[in-house]
Amino acid sequence: MVGTEAATTPAIRVAVGSAEYDRASAVLEAAREAAADVRVVETGPTGAAALAPVMLATADGRTAVHADVSPDRARELVETLDDGELPTDDAHAVVESDEGVPMPETGPLAAGQRRVLARCGWAAPAALDESLAERARDDPDDLREGVAGAGLLGRGRGDGHTDESIAEGWETARESDGEAVVVVNGNESDPAVDGDRLLLESRPAEVLDGALAVAAAVEATDVVVYLNEDDELAARRVREAVESVDAGGTEIDVVAGPDRYIAGEMTMALEAMEGADRLEARLRPPGPSEVGLYGRPTVVHTPRTLAQIRAFVAAPDEFETSAADPGTRLLTVTGDGVAGPATVELATDTALTEAVADGEEYKMACVGGRFGGITRSLDVPASAPALTGARLGTEGGVELFDGATCALEFAGARAKFAREANCGRCVPCREGSKQLVELLRDVYDGQFQPNELRELSRVVAESSTCEFGQAAPRPVTTAIDTFEREIAAHAEGRCPSGVCMETN
Amino acid sequence: MSTDHTGRAESLPSVPSIDDPRPHPPLTEHFNTGTATDPDVGARETSSLTVDGEEVSVGEEATIIDALGEVGADEELSALCYYDREDTDRIGPRSECRTCMVETDEHGLVPSCSHPAEDGMAVRTDSTEAEEARSVNLDLVLSDHNLRCTTCGKNGRCELQDAAIEADVEVPRYGVFDDRDEYEPIDESSPFIQIDRNKCILCNRCVEACNDVQVEGVLRIEGSGPDTRIGFQNGADEMMDSTCVSCGHCATVCPTGSLVEQDYTDAATIPVPGFTQENSIGETIGEDYDGQPNPATPMKGNQTYEDDALDGEADDE
Ligand code: SF4
Ligand code: SF4
Ligand code: SF4
Ligand code: FES
Repeated sequence: MVGTEAATTPAIRVAVGSAEYDRASAVLEAAREAAADVRVVETGPTGAAALAPVMLATADGRTAVHADVSPDRARELVETLDDGELPTDDAHAVVESDEGVPMPETGPLAAGQRRVLARCGWAAPAALDESLAERARDDPDDLREGVAGAGLLGRGRGDGHTDESIAEGWETARESDGEAVVVVNGNESDPAVDGDRLLLESRPAEVLDGALAVAAAVEATDVVVYLNEDDELAARRVREAVESVDAGGTEIDVVAGPDRYIAGEMTMALEAMEGADRLEARLRPPGPSEVGLYGRPTVVHTPRTLAQIRAFVAAPDEFETSAADPGTRLLTVTGDGVAGPATVELATDTALTEAVADGEEYKMACVGGRFGGITRSLDVPASAPALTGARLGTEGGVELFDGATCALEFAGARAKFAREANCGRCVPCREGSKQLVELLRDVYDGQFQPNELRELSRVVAESSTCEFGQAAPRPVTTAIDTFEREIAAHAEGRCPSGVCMETN
Repeated sequence: MSTDHTGRAESLPSVPSIDDPRPHPPLTEHFNTGTATDPDVGARETSSLTVDGEEVSVGEEATIIDALGEVGADEELSALCYYDREDTDRIGPRSECRTCMVETDEHGLVPSCSHPAEDGMAVRTDSTEAEEARSVNLDLVLSDHNLRCTTCGKNGRCELQDAAIEADVEVPRYGVFDDRDEYEPIDESSPFIQIDRNKCILCNRCVEACNDVQVEGVLRIEGSGPDTRIGFQNGADEMMDSTCVSCGHCATVCPTGSLVEQDYTDAATIPVPGFTQENSIGETIGEDYDGQPNPATPMKGNQTYEDDALDGEADDE
């Protein structure tokens, strides 16, 4: 079943995501009970958690966005629409549009653009307008050449080609011995990076279609979707989507790995899928595209990467192929002053400031997820080279911190996470993270040694085996560079933010 | 962000039902070694490269360290966890210590023990970054090591001690592991092998010797992060409760005083009355051990004949 929606008939859409599952489900049930003629569609989340539960009412080319809807309110809205009238009273926004989640003037749905996100919160998760996999099966060279020509980069730490050319990875897989596998790495346990979960809960059919298109491009016989064992809604929706897509003979498996940060690293994902009872990273090179799952060439992509590939095939002209990182990036904005996590989409040449709503004040932001970089300014384009050049991370998370956050305490907390959560395999990461914590602790005892901290961070970043250790020192180094005086003040017994001296 | 009432029918499997095409699933497949299945890291073809400006050629399967060896440049590196002896093809490279880092034009800093040699590669052992990385990593190894050499059974035949001396480590940057409250008790349960995890550098040689060479499947790596340690596949807390057959191979390959044949635990120590390895740690386990649930045999090395039944068993598939 490939779902299509007649845009002209009045419709109610209820966005149900895992974060608001109970409340939104009650709204959906109430809407279904109340509906006489209008169509009630269960969609995935919109990405704007602050508005949940969200209900969209559409009629005559206009859409009313209702936020924070209760079951009683849902009944009223449905009845109004059933009576032939668009319910606009107390709406969060009313927009002249009946194609995709509308973008109001303000609020979390207003930021950036909605290209990859267009149908998140709009279409039924298992619905697919157009199968790009079919096109890729007809003409795999066209997809390969197109993606190579555009220079699309992989997105997210779990991708097999993070910030690198995905087309090169495909070539490697094609040239390597054995039947290729495509892994959809949807296991991201970082709460500050929600783009993959959003796509899996909202657009699983598109994610699968993208994976099947890649399978056609690299002549893979299997697609394995690897989720986090705690992502139950995503699991259900992906399985429903598996039933509805045309796999064209490719086998699709859906499996789940542990809810641990390391389980998202590409080779630990493979280890989990091979049944390892303890996770540790594999050596590389050769990487998974040469020797991956059970030794087979394995192309690993995140849902975010697959969504870009689909967006590219659907509208290649919208991709600036001369750009170092063409397309858009999903960014989840969380933190102090943010009403609820908001996953927004920015063109890669747009500054991160666009992702943050007006009036959101912050002292500093951590850009790039758990091991992102600290910055005072978000005036940095969202492209991988620009973020890397600004020593920020490309993970797709922007956490805002207000004046009550101490940069040293923050850096210490991230270093402790690195110390506790690493796989334990290699010395620079396992022992280096312990010593990072110790050197930061020394500051409270009156000894701030920025050069030692930088030296250690350099070695951990440059000699660790996997992306975990390579990224782990970034919060520390960027905090030192950005807030050196604030950190140094602690050695004199003073916390300028007034938060951490009493406890230490 | 998860909910447990999302109407999920049943939980997902963790392993997909796809083909494992490897022609001979490894003999040791039923062992839970706790370690990753690394790809073959050796070069696919012969190559010519330069090491500190000198031209070198190496064959198939070579990693950069082989090229360093050709011109003696490996002398510059500690390469602590690298095992370059008769069992090389079944032990390592584990590539965990990163005291073998070298600089390449092509890939920046890489571990020479596990990076494939590539044709045309330009390798430098003497770049500032490579030297810094090797030196910091060696100090990081020492920071987690109980450095009481004078009471250690491997004093004078310890690869970490040699490495630290060769690298002229005088005062390790991060100190040494010296916290009585944090020490793990020494495992004295086995009459043949003593385990002192406070001296373990997690090089994994013992695990590979036990699983891939002896095919006994006793030892493994367990835990993660700071709790990573050598353990037993049957879940035993002490060696005598494990399925160890006392072949001794693990102690033979161990670079440090972590696994030592009981006959040698005091062999090289300086005889200071009352100052022994046990009381340097302060705690031991298994000393009162008297049960023998598993068929522990005398160590092979202690037996009078070399070609004993155990060797046959090990080769018996
Ligand atoms: S970098 Fe950290 S997580 Fe990665 S292999 Fe090394 S110890 Fe494990
Ligand atoms: S002595 Fe025991 S633990 Fe060591 S290699 Fe032999 S069987 Fe394994
Ligand atoms: S016990 Fe010895 S051989 Fe085993 S991992 Fe530790 S240091 Fe290496
Ligand atoms: S010798 Fe290369 S990492 Fe240990």
